[in-house]
Amino acid sequence: MSTAAHPVDTHKPPEVNLTKFGMTTFLASEAMLFAGLISAYLILWISQGKNYEPEWLKADKFTWPVLVTGINTCFLLASSGTLYMGEQAVLKGKSITAWLGLTTILGAVFVTVQYFEWRHLYSEHIWFHTGGTYTSSFFTLTGFHGLHVSIGVVFLAITTLMAAAGKFTPHRHDFLTCVSLYWHFVDIVWIGLFTVMYLLPYFIH
Amino acid sequence: MQAQATVRLPDGAHPTNYLNKETTIRSWLLTTDHKRIALLYLFTIIFFFIIAAVAAALMRAELLTPKGDLVLSETYNKLFTIHGVLMVWFFLVPSIPTVLGNFLIPMMIGARDLAFPKLNLLSWYILATAGAIVLYSVTAGGVDVGWTFYTPLSTKFSNEHVMVMAFGIFLSGFSSILTGLNFIISIHRMRAPGLTWMRLPLFVWSLYATSLIMVLATPVLATAMLLIVVERLWGVGIFDPSLGGDPVLFQHLFWFYSHPAVYIMILPGFGVVSEIITCFSRKRIFGYRFIAFASMAIAILGFMVWGHHMFVSSQSLYTGMVFSFLSFLIAIPSGIKVFNWTMTLYKGSISFETPMLYVLGFIGLFTVGGLTGLFVAALATDVHLTDTYFVVAHFHYIMVGGMVLAFMGGLHFWWPKMTGRLYPEPMGQLSALTTFIGFNLTFFPQFILGYLGMPRRYHAYPPEFQVWNVLSTAGATILAAGYLMPMIYLPWSLWWGKRAGNNPWSATGLEWQTPSPPPEHNFDQTPLVTEEPYGYPLAATTHNRHTEGRQREMEHA
Repeated sequence: MSTAAHPVDTHKPPEVNLTKFGMTTFLASEAMLFAGLISAYLILWISQGKNYEPEWLKADKFTWPVLVTGINTCFLLASSGTLYMGEQAVLKGKSITAWLGLTTILGAVFVTVQYFEWRHLYSEHIWFHTGGTYTSSFFTLTGFHGLHVSIGVVFLAITTLMAAAGKFTPHRHDFLTCVSLYWHFVDIVWIGLFTVMYLLPYFIH
Repeated sequence: MQAQATVRLPDGAHPTNYLNKETTIRSWLLTTDHKRIALLYLFTIIFFFIIAAVAAALMRAELLTPKGDLVLSETYNKLFTIHGVLMVWFFLVPSIPTVLGNFLIPMMIGARDLAFPKLNLLSWYILATAGAIVLYSVTAGGVDVGWTFYTPLSTKFSNEHVMVMAFGIFLSGFSSILTGLNFIISIHRMRAPGLTWMRLPLFVWSLYATSLIMVLATPVLATAMLLIVVERLWGVGIFDPSLGGDPVLFQHLFWFYSHPAVYIMILPGFGVVSEIITCFSRKRIFGYRFIAFASMAIAILGFMVWGHHMFVSSQSLYTGMVFSFLSFLIAIPSGIKVFNWTMTLYKGSISFETPMLYVLGFIGLFTVGGLTGLFVAALATDVHLTDTYFVVAHFHYIMVGGMVLAFMGGLHFWWPKMTGRLYPEPMGQLSALTTFIGFNLTFFPQFILGYLGMPRRYHAYPPEFQVWNVLSTAGATILAAGYLMPMIYLPWSLWWGKRAGNNPWSATGLEWQTPSPPPEHNFDQTPLVTEEPYGYPLAATTHNRHTEGRQREMEHA
């Protein structure tokens, strides 16, 4: 192809945010990972139908703790809200440490509640291997998501410290953008997981 | 065009280039230059290729006689596992994307580097670490589940090292994902001014399609591998029926990645073929848009055909029929490509340099591989052919006859650009012919073996199959010679090869307009693209067969 030489400066490509695009693409990949897990769970559930829940759990009229997790979900959704406020504030050049700190705390609360929920289930002998695929898929999926949330909390904490150190300006805050994209993504995945793991079985019950 | 701004040495080499700017080992291991990373990948995948090839050679030696007399059946199982795992995830999947793609995409789009150079280096470290983990599992006792890891064999009956190997493959997936991500962003955002989508070289198009598959399919493989590890570690019932799991679920997850992965392993080859065939026909590519969109169509359709690996599993007949239909559908874009390449040859001014010989071999062998794919995509014949040598021959025609030949063709085509040196042409032509002959002798008999009913993955067989197996092993010897020759003359050319100059093939494309080897920053000035690619002298619809255009171009050069 024929080309003509041009000095670099006159034909600078348009300023674009590569980091944001890169993170979005990575999250598309993450979405496929959760899609794989969730469809595996649904296939196991549908293929076994009424036999899916083991007899001894049926006898106990057992359900996954919907109420506690529902409240916990509110914390997670609220954290997305506070993070959004932080993103808006940074564009106006305001301090965002408080918003980010609050987001980190809300995220940490979610992880802690999930941890105690798991501990409670474990004490009732409901664990990965005790109830066939019914329990194993529950713990694998929520565990996988919990791992993602925990990673997110660590990154939120780092972002808070960076904000406190004044690292973000209205024009330069790529790191914050990436962390918040990730965090919103983890929230959206949780809405999906909460629906198929807690709400659907509860209402079908 | 770069000449106005550059001090040129008499032979056309840039005074400092990406190879000689710094030469310490540290400067190589910490480099973020896409060209150096491409070479790091080249050494890595050749290393894995050699191990996997030795495993294949041992298998072929075992199959010389009907009795299992060279290796134990357990050893044989481990050999084909090593061969499959290393060839698929550590040679074929990274081959063209990470070596040629890394080297060429920034140059073809007129950029200084990829969008995320550090991420690019990280991908290499991930692949190398993953490879080391897999090799550890091999030396620690070996894994015997084949590259497909079918459950419950992998979760219940095989040894512990399965977990280690599965983890290694899980990790290698991240290298793939990050590479794909880097390519997608670079192709979207780093193109030189004037380089519109319809002016992109077809190599870039095919790698764009490949990258989409890498980013969207690989995580599902990660899921499958992770679930194997989870099931083994904690005794969780996901695939094991006695714990309430579903073994076919594993096959769904595995093939949801691994069928698109087949296109990760062939689409980049399509890109290489498109570049080379138009160059050595001195003719514009026939149907540029069709080739570009066929790549995208293959990438999308590739996600919808995984069930054709499972016709004899418990899948319902109707599901099977849908998957069979979709699999036939995907033959259409592949057919379009073969047709367009052939039409590019038609009335072209063809010359038979080494890359062209490899590529012509590719077209023939890929066509055979693709057509035999239809046999196994048809429900009725598949029941007869499943798990026989017919399947082995079919996918080797695609993977080796297709991808490996394309990789070799591409490596020879861009070798002068990468190193600044020309390899000895007669040796190159000889290796291309040897590979072609050796390949056919190795794998064509396997079609017959499969049709006669010899199952794959056995180290012993009834005596009536021996003649075909002997032919196949003899072919493998010739094939090995075809592979060995470039491993000798290519390194030789680094010191004693002739200087290549900027553009030894009189090819179009931005990468040929910069010195060989390129300077660290690729282009002294950002190029401005004003024309479609492949501005070769003969038009795509030409009526004349004379070679005037070529001569004119040679004089011009």
